[in-house]
Amino acid sequence: MREPIKYVFIWPAFLVVLIVALFPLFYSLIVSFQSMRLVPPVPPRFVGLGNYADLLGQERFRSVVGTTSLIVFCSVTVQYVLGFAIALALHGKVAAERLFRVTFLLPMLMAPIAVAMVARMLFHSTVGPINEFFTLVGLPNLPFLTKASWALGAIITVEVWQWTPFVILMMLAGLQTLPSEVYEAADLENATPWQQFWGITFPMLLPISVAVIFIRVIESFKILDTVFVLTGGGPGISTETLTLFAYQEGFKKFNLGYTSALSFLFLIVIILFGVVYLAVLRPTLEKRS
Amino acid sequence: MNRHRGSRAVTFALCAIWFVVTIFPFYWTFVTSFKPPTAVNGGPTYLPFIDFEPTVKAYVDAWSGSRGDFFTPFLNSTLIGISATVLAVLLGSMAAYALVRFQFRVRLLAGAAFAAIGIGGFLLFQELGLSRAQAMGVSFLLALPTSVLLNGLRLPGPVLGNNDVVFWFVSQRMFPPIVTAFALYLLYSELGKEGLKALDTYWGMTLCYTSFSLPIVVWLMRDFFQALPVEIEEAALVDDVPRLRIFFEIVLPMARPGLIATSMITLGFVWNEFLFALLLTTSNWQTLPIILSGQNSYRGDEWWAISVAAMVSITPMLVLAFFLARLMRSGLALGAIK
Repeated sequence: MREPIKYVFIWPAFLVVLIVALFPLFYSLIVSFQSMRLVPPVPPRFVGLGNYADLLGQERFRSVVGTTSLIVFCSVTVQYVLGFAIALALHGKVAAERLFRVTFLLPMLMAPIAVAMVARMLFHSTVGPINEFFTLVGLPNLPFLTKASWALGAIITVEVWQWTPFVILMMLAGLQTLPSEVYEAADLENATPWQQFWGITFPMLLPISVAVIFIRVIESFKILDTVFVLTGGGPGISTETLTLFAYQEGFKKFNLGYTSALSFLFLIVIILFGVVYLAVLRPTLEKRS
Repeated sequence: MNRHRGSRAVTFALCAIWFVVTIFPFYWTFVTSFKPPTAVNGGPTYLPFIDFEPTVKAYVDAWSGSRGDFFTPFLNSTLIGISATVLAVLLGSMAAYALVRFQFRVRLLAGAAFAAIGIGGFLLFQELGLSRAQAMGVSFLLALPTSVLLNGLRLPGPVLGNNDVVFWFVSQRMFPPIVTAFALYLLYSELGKEGLKALDTYWGMTLCYTSFSLPIVVWLMRDFFQALPVEIEEAALVDDVPRLRIFFEIVLPMARPGLIATSMITLGFVWNEFLFALLLTTSNWQTLPIILSGQNSYRGDEWWAISVAAMVSITPMLVLAFFLARLMRSGLALGAIK
């Protein structure tokens, strides 16, 4: 089928993505093999894998990767379990379901920066309501944003608050596609809700679960806004994430080659994760379908 | 049946608790924006008129600009948001339509040639004495036609179809944004050295957001177009109506719910975006999230003022959420999620 008009349709979008998203990547790939600084301006010098080797040998880089993975792992796990539970509850025709459905979507649409600002206010040690609540139930005043473990907890909490709605939305859409006949049959055999969940609902929603978790993990790895406002990576570098680290290197130290190398390492981490994740889960998925 | 009622109560409790957790930060921000300083610094206060006397002073301050200009970033966010959304949805729908109704074949070798000529040409032309931006431009202009030509030849190697093209579009979105944002910063600053100012400009930001919204638009709109019946278009084709007219006069109106939902999602993304704005703007075209993030260092923590700033950023999205929810309820946007 030869229809030249199809190129009129696709080329504008294709060109924009090529020029703005793809082509600059070539450039930054080249820069990642160079030693290049803006301040003080040093002419670029080819250093091969020097930047990469440097980064991998750095204690700070390893700690940043660890912190980011920890945040991603904890927040996505909680998001998935909580989001799935709430989706099930909403699907089961709970009272005031309409109100809940609309409200539960809200956090997702807010600017992460605004959310983090509000969270800073809520977690504040003297004027914040969360600490007052904890004092009320007899706990000491907690250093949410100034002590490493509590600060990580606060960041994870904010992530869970903002992105559980995404899991709710997707799982709810998945639940609506399930055929009701299977459940009727299960009811006839007196299967308990618990058995029905593990025997029918969970396996049937496995493909969408895999997709949801995948999207959330990829997105969470990019985390910057929340950390930027909430802790700025501190105390020390205990809550610094990959994106924040790259930003600091590039725009505080103007070490461009380094930052480019870092962002490509980041890309490799994401791709590795994706490949491993899909490879591990493919057998389970194929068996089901 | 007693157990049934028990589980009902549990699910309701779960929803109710999550409802409170979700709503409380909104309530807190809203209330705090009306607090006088004394009601903030003395410890948490909760209820207006009982705990404290509400005041609109923080709003007046924000409006008069005594705490930094809010109006310009608001306008910037709106302008950039709307133009990027319109562009992305227009170009993205066209591409999505093409990917649904036509067959595309892209040879992997042609793609590889594009990358090879792009990178090699850039290095070569720089050696020949061209500036970085010039070398980039020339190698791009060389790489593109060559790879298009190569694609027309019968080359060996795998051939990619429509699904792969869609995947290519969507995969742009999976990249860590710092990779592309940083690369774009380098490109824009090189362009600046050639006299074409791209950093901190309206068109620079619009172009950048258009490009990064396109993957989502292509992905969502493809689902909507796939759901449309092909017969009407075929009837129009028999009558020799040109494709472009079919698209704009028949297909787009039919896909209106999808267009609205996609536009709202895109607008939300651009409105809330922080990293690109942080890297690519400095003063003139700063957007709301940038101003917002600067609030905590600006004159210390004046929470009432920060709350006003947050309200300014949140409110348009609340309105948007309301409309999106209405769309969802009528079931129109469900196809996009599936």
